[in-house]
Amino acid sequence: MRAYVVSLLKAWWGDAATEDNDFRFDYLPRLTGSHSTYETALAQIDGACKGYFLMGENPAVGSANAKVQRLGMANLEWLVVRDFSLIESATWWKDGPEIETGEMRTEDVGTEVFFFPAAAHTEKSGSFTNTNRTLQWHHAAVEPDGDARSDLWFMYHLGRIIRERLAGSTDERDRPVLDLTWDYPVEGPLDEPSAEAVLAEINGYGPDGAHLSTYDQLKDDGSTSCGCWIYCGVHADGVNQAARRKPGSEQDWIAAEWAWSWPSNRRVLYNRASADPDGEPWSERKALVWWDGERGRWTGHDVPDFKADKAPSYTPPHGARGPDAIAGNDPFILQADGKGWLFAPAGLVDGPMPTHYEPQDSPFDNPLYGHSRNPARQVFSREHNRFHPSGSDPGADVYPYVVTTYRLTEHFTAGGMSRWSPYLAELQPEFFCEVSPELAAERDLEHGGWATIVTARNAVEARVMVTDRMAPLRVQGRTLHQIGLPYHWGPNGYTTGDAANELSAIALDPNVHIQEVKALTADIRPGRRPRGPGLPGLVRAYRRRAGIDQDTGLEV
Amino acid sequence: MGRIAGPLDDVAGDAGHIGHPPRMGFFTDTSVCIGCKACEVACKEWNAIPEDGLTFTGMSYDNTQGLGADTWRHVAFIEQRKPLGLQDPGVEHGSYDAYDGVDVLGMASEAAARGGDGDRGELRWLMASDVCKHCTHAACLDVCPTGSLFRTEYGTVVVQEDICNGCGYCVPACPYGVIDQREDDGRVWKCTMCYDRISDGREPACAKACPTDSIQYGPLDELRERAAARVEQLHDAGVDDARLYGDDPGDGVGGDGAFFLLLDEPEAYGLPPDPVVTTRDLPSMWRHAGVAALTLLGGMAAAYAAGRRR
Ligand code: SF4
Ligand code: SF4
Ligand code: SF4
Repeated sequence: MRAYVVSLLKAWWGDAATEDNDFRFDYLPRLTGSHSTYETALAQIDGACKGYFLMGENPAVGSANAKVQRLGMANLEWLVVRDFSLIESATWWKDGPEIETGEMRTEDVGTEVFFFPAAAHTEKSGSFTNTNRTLQWHHAAVEPDGDARSDLWFMYHLGRIIRERLAGSTDERDRPVLDLTWDYPVEGPLDEPSAEAVLAEINGYGPDGAHLSTYDQLKDDGSTSCGCWIYCGVHADGVNQAARRKPGSEQDWIAAEWAWSWPSNRRVLYNRASADPDGEPWSERKALVWWDGERGRWTGHDVPDFKADKAPSYTPPHGARGPDAIAGNDPFILQADGKGWLFAPAGLVDGPMPTHYEPQDSPFDNPLYGHSRNPARQVFSREHNRFHPSGSDPGADVYPYVVTTYRLTEHFTAGGMSRWSPYLAELQPEFFCEVSPELAAERDLEHGGWATIVTARNAVEARVMVTDRMAPLRVQGRTLHQIGLPYHWGPNGYTTGDAANELSAIALDPNVHIQEVKALTADIRPGRRPRGPGLPGLVRAYRRRAGIDQDTGLEV
Repeated sequence: MGRIAGPLDDVAGDAGHIGHPPRMGFFTDTSVCIGCKACEVACKEWNAIPEDGLTFTGMSYDNTQGLGADTWRHVAFIEQRKPLGLQDPGVEHGSYDAYDGVDVLGMASEAAARGGDGDRGELRWLMASDVCKHCTHAACLDVCPTGSLFRTEYGTVVVQEDICNGCGYCVPACPYGVIDQREDDGRVWKCTMCYDRISDGREPACAKACPTDSIQYGPLDELRERAAARVEQLHDAGVDDARLYGDDPGDGVGGDGAFFLLLDEPEAYGLPPDPVVTTRDLPSMWRHAGVAALTLLGGMAAAYAAGRRR
């Protein structure tokens, strides 16, 4: 661990980081609390967060409780938006939903908003890393149009300009910025920083200036630098390993020479589990790694995710610690005991066993416990983030249906990349809600017509898609209807519509702070939603009817 | 000019191509289509076809509606209350209670009353990517007076936009309703089977983009063999309604260069059940027309003579 941190500090502060000054550990900004995206939005409303960079994100429609996101941005001193188009997060101050309802007036908004057009992946070099951990390099094919620039260009030149401004400063607080290694070569007519130089820095260098090839080489004495230990080896031998494109027909099915995976080009984590306790593959066909008894080493198609010379028969001696305490047949080496865990005594805020709690807003009580909701969840009751009564609580029937949000093939997340593309927009041209024929009959919803969906947060209108794909559920002796909402829309772009995230609340899981947008409750009614002040009026009337106040839904 | 009806082995040779490559075509296996519409988008991108309307149709996820001047691949979405082989669609929730399982633990409320009528037990969502059929006997080509529509050396049917004069004869001639006039310029447009790409040894853009190989491009003979084997495989797997459409050289258009594996009657997909090349009866029609013309001339002459007598 110390070797990783010291190497990181050397990568960032170079010669300024020495043994004597603790490798400038004190230059690192301190955490002052949770900085999850949702708590940041609430900190904006509270005035604690004053500036915000949005790069490739569109929270004004794409994050849970879109109104809270906009109100947060409206309370900033400055906001920088970098995107392909004028997304909703860049224009809420002049034409957002609150302007339309009269809840916000442009002349009252103090936020200074900067919009910078962004280069597309075809216009810049860099890497894609998908959830399979494989970094695939892409090379710029064309120069970006007009003022569009890559994120790398923006960050590098912003840093350069700030450092020029601060040059000669004797103020202690400017040292961390002035001491940064910020000397990337630039290339081409736009002075684009070399993405590969950044990759090489992240990969790291040894004492002789040679490119490192594995994180085992990292030292805690300041003789090595490495921007991120898991990527160490991506630039081994001075070669961009992520840019390798050897065809599948010229290598085995693991395709180890196609791009590069972190860490150590390992394609499958915990691949020791592909072999039985004795180190023989469970299946010849699916073999990944196995124990080579003659050589006394793990070997295989993939890079073994196990100490190379630890025999399957190894049993830790009494009192062994750390990696030595993991037996030769324990594949899950990042767990303290090397076992796969269902029982998680450490590491989770909740647990230790998987169990069932109802969603924050639910039409039902929890049949398992007296507590309906996860007692460790994060809920933030605010004027614009109120929760619903659930289960058997009075008022729960005001929002009798379940909403679930999801994606369509034709659009991408908050729509910044797809709603502005005519070829994609024409394939899914309008926000719609999916309901069963049974719910349509119950609420007089007309196929192809309009419906308004209401929660305590907001109300949206959507075209109605009546489909057998939405099936009523039978739960606790009664029928439950679901409403499906694809969440890609917003008021800007080539295809426009209300954002499903107007309806969702900020209620987060305690471990990774993920919003609860897969199950919430709502009401649905035929016809379009009100315009102007009528819209918040409708939402307030529902809240009143359900008896919602600041304490609703906070009980565990 | 070549034959205009019946089976035809060498469609490119019949059109005058000598030493031509094998006839190329499409086998679209709709049983593996996932409805991603990558084929539609790839076609529009490659061929620079304009966007043609932001209409929410309510026809499941099909907002394209059909082939036209500005849509050369069209993915149909069809929702049916029918079984798909042995698949469990998982939409019948009325006959069991979602919390019955936890009742086993003895902790749930006792209100797990059963109910529901169970009449929604089946659901299947068919997706099918339609395209110009590149007919063996292509009526569009037969009626084209300018030679804009022509038969390529690959046996495909292509319209040349720089020659088309916008007369529109081909539009009603096509038995599938494929070829269409673009509103703003009057000329007709349709799938070229990516003539520019296949001439360069590449597969068409739609087939290249298709992630499931629902769209397979290749020599038509090979595709027909592969398709027959696939139907058999599906039948063995209990998908009894799998069938081929447009594969038969004995059909009304002499077989399609682009044929399909369907899971229902063609009508379910908006395809004509028994397409016939509309020019098949042309020779006899011309004979009838000739007689009619003579009769007309005779009538005029008689009228003239009568007029003179006055
Ligand atoms: S399907 Fe229609 S447009 Fe295509 S070749 Fe046949 S007749 Fe011509
Ligand atoms: S073959 Fe080419 S022109 Fe025809 S549908 Fe496919 S992509 Fe479009
Ligand atoms: S690209 Fe292939 S899978 Fe996708 S819709 Fe078209 S035919 Fe179906």
